[in-house]
Amino acid sequence: MSISRRVFVKSGGLALFSLGLDPLFLARAAFASVHRSIVPSDHPVLVCLFQRGAVDGLNMIVPHGEPLYYRERPRIAIPARDVVDLDGHFGLHPSLAPLKSLWDNKSLAAIHAVGSPDATRSHFDAQDYMETGTPGVKSTSDGWVNRYCRHDQEHADTAFRAVAFGPQLPRILAGTAPALAIDDLQAFGLRVPQEAARDKLTRAFEQLYEGAATGLLASSSQEGFAAIKMLKRVNPAQYQPANGAAYPQGRFGRSLLQIAQLIKADVGLEIAFADVGGQPVQFRLEVVRRAIEADRPCP
Amino acid sequence: MRHRLLTVWLVLAVPGALGAQALTPRDSALHALNRLAYGPRPGDVDSVARTGVMRWVEQQLDFERVPDDRLAGRERAFKLLTYDREDLAHRYGEAVRERRRMQREMAESGDTTRSRGAGPMREFRELGGELQQLAVVRAALSERQLREVMVDFWSNHFNVFVGKGADRFLTPSYIEETIRPHALGRFEDLLIATAKSPAMLFYLDNAQSVAPGSFPPSRGRGGQGVRAPTGINENYARELLELHTLGVDGGYTQQDVIAVARIFTGWSIDRPQQGAGFAFHAWAHDRGEKQVFGARFRDDGVNEGIRLLKLLAAQHATMHHVSRKLCARFVSDEPPDGCVDAAVEAWHRTSGDIRAVLRAIFTSPDFWAPQALRAKVKTPLEFVVSALRATGAEPDSTLRLAQVVARLGEPLYLQPAPTGYPEAQALWVNSGALLARMNAAVALAADRLPGASVDLDDVVPAAADHAALVDAVNVRLLNGTMSAHTRSVILEQLADVADPAQARTLAVGLALGGPEFQRQ
Repeated sequence: MSISRRVFVKSGGLALFSLGLDPLFLARAAFASVHRSIVPSDHPVLVCLFQRGAVDGLNMIVPHGEPLYYRERPRIAIPARDVVDLDGHFGLHPSLAPLKSLWDNKSLAAIHAVGSPDATRSHFDAQDYMETGTPGVKSTSDGWVNRYCRHDQEHADTAFRAVAFGPQLPRILAGTAPALAIDDLQAFGLRVPQEAARDKLTRAFEQLYEGAATGLLASSSQEGFAAIKMLKRVNPAQYQPANGAAYPQGRFGRSLLQIAQLIKADVGLEIAFADVGGQPVQFRLEVVRRAIEADRPCP
Repeated sequence: MRHRLLTVWLVLAVPGALGAQALTPRDSALHALNRLAYGPRPGDVDSVARTGVMRWVEQQLDFERVPDDRLAGRERAFKLLTYDREDLAHRYGEAVRERRRMQREMAESGDTTRSRGAGPMREFRELGGELQQLAVVRAALSERQLREVMVDFWSNHFNVFVGKGADRFLTPSYIEETIRPHALGRFEDLLIATAKSPAMLFYLDNAQSVAPGSFPPSRGRGGQGVRAPTGINENYARELLELHTLGVDGGYTQQDVIAVARIFTGWSIDRPQQGAGFAFHAWAHDRGEKQVFGARFRDDGVNEGIRLLKLLAAQHATMHHVSRKLCARFVSDEPPDGCVDAAVEAWHRTSGDIRAVLRAIFTSPDFWAPQALRAKVKTPLEFVVSALRATGAEPDSTLRLAQVVARLGEPLYLQPAPTGYPEAQALWVNSGALLARMNAAVALAADRLPGASVDLDDVVPAAADHAALVDAVNVRLLNGTMSAHTRSVILEQLADVADPAQARTLAVGLALGGPEFQRQ
């Protein structure tokens, strides 16, 4: 993102302020001006995966050293002999065995018994509370990740700071801080097959919005066009996963691949979000683990 | 009749009072069509200006007299309008049992790989899609535009979520039987209808709110492994006060929320096998004394709730909260006090006649003030539907246009939070959503938008002369709002386009995707 574009957005905000228009736009412009620092390329990235189908945590990370577990689960407990032991007390469900090497090299931590204290019996409400971060309160309008972006002042606010992979922005990212929903990184931007025609149309819309848009329409369109340029420079289509990593087929594997592309493109990604929709637990974890291990940014 | 004429004169006098800033008849017609309708179709601005804008407003308020045959013909393609809720309830009950059976089987066999996609719930997911598309078709085609706008407003004010359990099959009847009949009626009737609607009772959990320690008489304890609800649930009570009536600053306390929740204990739903209608379970009702705003409620069954709803509908805070939301919808995101006060005054005077409240807003100087013109950014639904109307496009009866609206950020009936979608532009305007709007505009101009077919020959004839083409686009599609800058950018883009049809597609795509058309 060029400095001049930011200055444009900022001075646009000041101009509007003098006219007394559009306080929300101002809030966002002011927010943008605070977040101008360049992201260091080694900044941490949070990849947030949401298992929509829910998970039985006690059978995923099994407290096999805990007699109560076997007493309370006479039929569905994982037999101790099948558990992949981690620390003598907890262990992995056998189908999670591929994650063991990540534990061994200290890349993996499990945080147990963290969840919503709200005992709702509605799957929908339970998901909703996980995303808003306000269990029991239904009227929260934004998601906790968006709230984090709005309040965190230390990190740069690039167009790609918070990205969800999917056709729509999930509730966890809904709110007033900028966040992108990207279904397909390569198709982000205007959908015109030939590159020259696409560039021309993109430039035309950019000029239209530069000259005639005001308020939030102006700042948001600028962010969008900046993002298109950034992606064009990075060219994710040419991306080759490192070390021959092969991401699994399907929506989730594609999301992981695109998250890796954005991380390595160094476009300021700080939080990536993807859904794991309804897949059973044994969804080819070994393939996922191998891909992630091979393709990690800092070997 | 005399009354209506009087209103006309009152408002025509308003622009005059503003002196130099008076709107032309075409300006006021465009403004009214942008706010009371989903934007003008070709020729609408002229015809409303000829009719007289206030006469047109009165016609829209008196919608029963507006013929709507074309829409009625299109509605026949929507099967959901022929379904009986009890039928649907039975089928839903069966689908739930079938799903439980499959889950048991999967758990026993240890086979968890089977897809949940097809499954017994498929019919109900499709029902939700059909409901969304019906909303798009009605908004685009109905001659009773203000009514459709108000149906959208109330569906959002009294939000339910079609993705939550039984609301998959309860939401269609919620829209048809609860919202639509009352959209321009009395607020109190609408409020009571929503409170009694199975969709709301399920969505905000009141259906399972029971007095502590009460048990259903027939089932007794522990029947069929279904746990009986064990106490009051405050969700509906809280949202009723905070969102539906008084507003968050409406002067109520947590004690009031609890009292309201106790009053509504027993307001529930019949089981699907019995039709899933409203049911008052006397056994679950808390008969003790409750006090809300000085009124006492005690051992009076379902009447307690009705009395409370009437009390809430008559509170000044309710009038102010809902009037302000209406003004945010019709005037500007941060509405001036003047139009809100006018709406509240009309509400007091008529005991909540929604038509009178709306008339007060539409005759308020704030509605016609120059700073209100094009002050609002269109929501995704408003953008898609206004583009269809502007180009005279025909929406089909598949689910695809509703999917376009969803991709732009507003999946209909799928807002999980009871707040509904906000009226303010901040939610709708972000870089991804704007690019999606540009794509939709370019696709529509090329007749490639999924779910719509358009013939631009009827709207903007292809012309070899680019200047004439862009002028036609400005007049016919943007109703004269195109800026000089936009005009010059589009002309520049057309410079190397020789084919007249191609030039028209490009000009229309840029105009609909450009900044002017995002506003209303």
